[in-house]
Amino acid sequence: MATLQERLDEFKKAFESGAPPYNAPHEAIEKMHRATAELKASGIEKTALKVGDRAPAFSLFNQDHAQVSSSDLLGEGPLVVSFFRGHW
Amino acid sequence: MELEALQQIHSEVKALGTQIVVITPELERYTRALHRKLNLTYDILTDLHLKTAEQFRLVFTLPDYLRELYKSFGSTLDRFNDEPEYRLPMPARYIIDKDSIIRAADVNADYTIRPDPAETLRHLRTLTPAPAN
Repeated sequence: MATLQERLDEFKKAFESGAPPYNAPHEAIEKMHRATAELKASGIEKTALKVGDRAPAFSLFNQDHAQVSSSDLLGEGPLVVSFFRGHW
Repeated sequence: MELEALQQIHSEVKALGTQIVVITPELERYTRALHRKLNLTYDILTDLHLKTAEQFRLVFTLPDYLRELYKSFGSTLDRFNDEPEYRLPMPARYIIDKDSIIRAADVNADYTIRPDPAETLRHLRTLTPAPAN
């Protein structure tokens, strides 16, 4: 089975081809590339928290409006936290 | 795609006595719909106005030219995230140990690149005691 990155690459290739079903205009793709390059150049990847740093505690609502805290989760063992920008 | 890929490793993650959470600025009414649609068994947490993402120092503002582009596609962040300033978190995956120390960090400004969940699972195994035989 294809890995996550292989599937992402396949989607990117289809999108950037400009062909249906996405029909992405060339200028749009250029703008996306420019924004990614600018964000990389800003150095933000290096200022984000990294290995060895203490993770901030959080307490947030889940999809069913139940409060979930990092201290409860970490009481069970190590935790994977994935930041997702959304599906908009 | 990443959410589905994380779902595929979730039972193995749980078997190790560990957990997955996804943190997003999306409002609860959207996370609820997404959670149901993808049949997820881990939680999606709403990070209203990116307070937690800020603490992990992952927040950036979408440049004006991209904001206009996304608007022309019909996507509006202000609606999904209540983010009039069009701020977003960088995609990032962390492994945090029981003492709250970050043991793995995959942060990439290029949102088309994501770490492989199999790698995350391998790393988790190194942090958890092997099951007794």
